[in-house]
Amino acid sequence: MVVLEHLSKTFGSRLALNDLSLEITKGEIFGLLGHNGAGKSTTFGILLGQVHPDTGEARINGHSVQKNRAQALRRVGAIFETPAFYDYMSGWDNLSYFVSLTEPVPASRLKEIVEMVGLTDRIRDKVRAYSHGMRQRLALAQALLPDPEFIVLDEPTEGLDPEGIREMREMIRRLRAEHGLTVLLSSHLLSEVEQLCDRVAILHKGNLVFTGTWQDEGLRWRFDIDDWVKAAPVFEKFGGAVEADHIVRFETDRVAEVVGELVRSGIRVSEVARHRLTLEDFYLNRIGL
Amino acid sequence: MNTFATQLRGELKKMFARKRTYIGFGAFLVVELVIQFLLHLSKPQAWISKMIEQAGYEASTYLSGLTLGLLTILFTVLLLGALYLALVGGDVVSKEVEDGTMRMILSRPISRGRVLLLKIISCAIYTVALAAFVCISAFIAGTIGYGSGGLFAFSQFEKIFAIYDFWPGLMRYLLAIPFLSASLFSVTVVAFFLSCLQMKPAAATIITLSFFFIDSILKEIPFFESIRPFFITGRMATWIHVFEYRIPWEMMAENYAWLFAINGTLLVLAWHVFERRDFKS
Repeated sequence: MVVLEHLSKTFGSRLALNDLSLEITKGEIFGLLGHNGAGKSTTFGILLGQVHPDTGEARINGHSVQKNRAQALRRVGAIFETPAFYDYMSGWDNLSYFVSLTEPVPASRLKEIVEMVGLTDRIRDKVRAYSHGMRQRLALAQALLPDPEFIVLDEPTEGLDPEGIREMREMIRRLRAEHGLTVLLSSHLLSEVEQLCDRVAILHKGNLVFTGTWQDEGLRWRFDIDDWVKAAPVFEKFGGAVEADHIVRFETDRVAEVVGELVRSGIRVSEVARHRLTLEDFYLNRIGL
Repeated sequence: MNTFATQLRGELKKMFARKRTYIGFGAFLVVELVIQFLLHLSKPQAWISKMIEQAGYEASTYLSGLTLGLLTILFTVLLLGALYLALVGGDVVSKEVEDGTMRMILSRPISRGRVLLLKIISCAIYTVALAAFVCISAFIAGTIGYGSGGLFAFSQFEKIFAIYDFWPGLMRYLLAIPFLSASLFSVTVVAFFLSCLQMKPAAATIITLSFFFIDSILKEIPFFESIRPFFITGRMATWIHVFEYRIPWEMMAENYAWLFAINGTLLVLAWHVFERRDFKS
């Protein structure tokens, strides 16, 4: 569905993106993670034809964004971190304007989307009177018009209250379930990404440091033992790698044998528990923090 | 074509939904009314009457809405017209970039060239609307103050002196609207070009205004008489020649060809810059 091939971009002397290659499959919710300035916005910009890459190419449904932008973006919607609208116009007029840049749609389709995002009562009001949450809903409405197959969501929950965040999350899930939408998402709220995304990519200083499913990255156990120095060769023997906070990662599930060996080595084992890796742990580990 | 028309309608709706778009219309109206009021005072009126009478005509016949309308345009159009066209033209791209709406536009499957084309057409429509408004409102204001009558056309700089009865005068007056619009479009294009560069909307407006004011000042300095053809405001002033008894079409065509070439070059450069720009938050 979406292919990024060897994308590189520098702004002046600053390297924003270094040889990024990614593939997003149809119907997938894909998370793009990284600190501010890691290259996420540049990636989105290149994908939408707003930023020219120095090298490489982005393709959507087989169409090159750089060579045939109109065709590539024909069924793409996007939301940016701070959705910008014409404040002096109504929500309805804003939607009509933005959708006209793709193809004219009947008013009934506009109404349907407005209803879906829950803006029916306020859609004729000027956008300057909208709260941040309403602007985000309007942004989602414009991204869903006329009928995208792929949507790019750059910090879609930025500035939303907890209720709004949950609504947005459920909306994204519903769109995927009901319309088979492919979603590329970036967010600083890692718990949101964790709940929503099938796969993630992590960018660090313009470099891709991980892509895939973080849950599969080894099995982790928390050990409460009295001698970590003595235990180190035991863990090593079973291919375990000691991480922070008494966590040991193994590639295979042989914890019973590990515990037996620890006991035989005279180490007192008080507790062993499975450690479920959060995306936050994984992310911080990957970027070396 | 249908899609293009819908997109252009959207662009115009956006432009005319802004209150600031109307400031130019409002300001011209106020200035016209102030000028009309001041011309009612005895001294300026006596000066105009004397000019007409010295030419052997009756002042009461030619001190009319048409004459006062033309005088108002001559006094105001370069200063105020440049100001409001620079304001709108200077905003049209850079303000959208600054506000972030340009990124929203460019996330749609529309080419950058088409975005610019829609914007320059809407700017051209605004220019024509403003020029037509200035001419028509000045005529109406003048007619309310002085009634209808013949046209006394006078321009010291362009060396024009002509007298017309009401209908021929009105025809010349209406003929001036498209030519004035074409002249003023150069201001819009300069502002539009600057707006496409990486600069703030205010900077685009101020640089445009500075350029035209400096150009018009230099044009009037006698030392620069030999290079006068190179001043754009000199070429722009050609619209006033529609009031000559024998309209100098050749000279006007040459001047408009120059303006057309300058505008065309700036628009190509604007397109070139806009196509190559990166738009990022």
